[in-house]
Amino acid sequence: MKQFVVIGLGRFGSSIARALAEKNFEVLAMDRNEERVKEIEDTVSQAVVVDATDEKALKELGIKEFDTAVVSIGENIEASIMVTLLLKELGVKQVIVKARNELHAKILEKVGADRIIFPEKEMGEKLAESLASPKIFDYIELSTEYGILEMIAPKKFCDKTLSELNLREKFGISVMAIKRKMPYTKPDGSPDFEEKIIIGPGGADEILQGDILVLLGKYKDLNRIQKL
Amino acid sequence: MNSDFQDLLELSEFYILSQKYEEAIKILKKAQKINNREPKLYYNFGIAYEALNERDKAINCFRQALSLDPNFQSAQEHLNKLIKG
Repeated sequence: MKQFVVIGLGRFGSSIARALAEKNFEVLAMDRNEERVKEIEDTVSQAVVVDATDEKALKELGIKEFDTAVVSIGENIEASIMVTLLLKELGVKQVIVKARNELHAKILEKVGADRIIFPEKEMGEKLAESLASPKIFDYIELSTEYGILEMIAPKKFCDKTLSELNLREKFGISVMAIKRKMPYTKPDGSPDFEEKIIIGPGGADEILQGDILVLLGKYKDLNRIQKL
Repeated sequence: MNSDFQDLLELSEFYILSQKYEEAIKILKKAQKINNREPKLYYNFGIAYEALNERDKAINCFRQALSLDPNFQSAQEHLNKLIKG
């Protein structure tokens, strides 16, 4: 049976380790951070707290016996390059590395990485970019495929009901909640509003100007919807 | 207060209460041409922009309202909330 080692248990690394374990592969998961290791230890075959840039420690763990290593050290580019080099020197057949940017990818290629991935690009980079957009309020990654996006309702949606919009059919997206500002008149006669959250809105609920939609769906679909 | 201006201000409030904020802004722009020294005008502008999630514009409008009436409590409350958020 194929054996995998996953180094770096951030969001991406841990989701890969879990997915592999669910497919009944043998997975050795490692991170320097004890909490991250604890979180995953019941799911994978073995989870260890170790500094993967420590050659001796890698040798002791019998790394060279593994078919594939996934290096997902996001925050520390230098460590990810060192670990990649060590793994190749120790004889790991396939080393897959998560790169943060093009330059990082080039260096990884030079030190022998067999496959370089841009998970953020593949799953959520465009969304992350658009976080800078004033239209997007928040974004939560749920898995490698799904996320929750909080965005200002596109103008096209205004004054239409959810069943008219049919986002589930057209985009594969569910509207989890609508955040709405409910206007009222103050005792002095001036207008004001209070914020209200409609949870689990129904087909008859209408989208109004200024509404903020909380949407759940696949990254690619969430990307599509925010371009409207 | 000029009666046309007052009518427009009330109309903008009607639109705000009907959640038609863009229409409210159009009306307020008309009102602004008649009188651009009325703090309530800028307060209503601020409410409509805030409701449309146009934070920066809303902040400017509440500031404008406060520059004309430093004791405008509702404008101050909205401004504080927007700056904190």
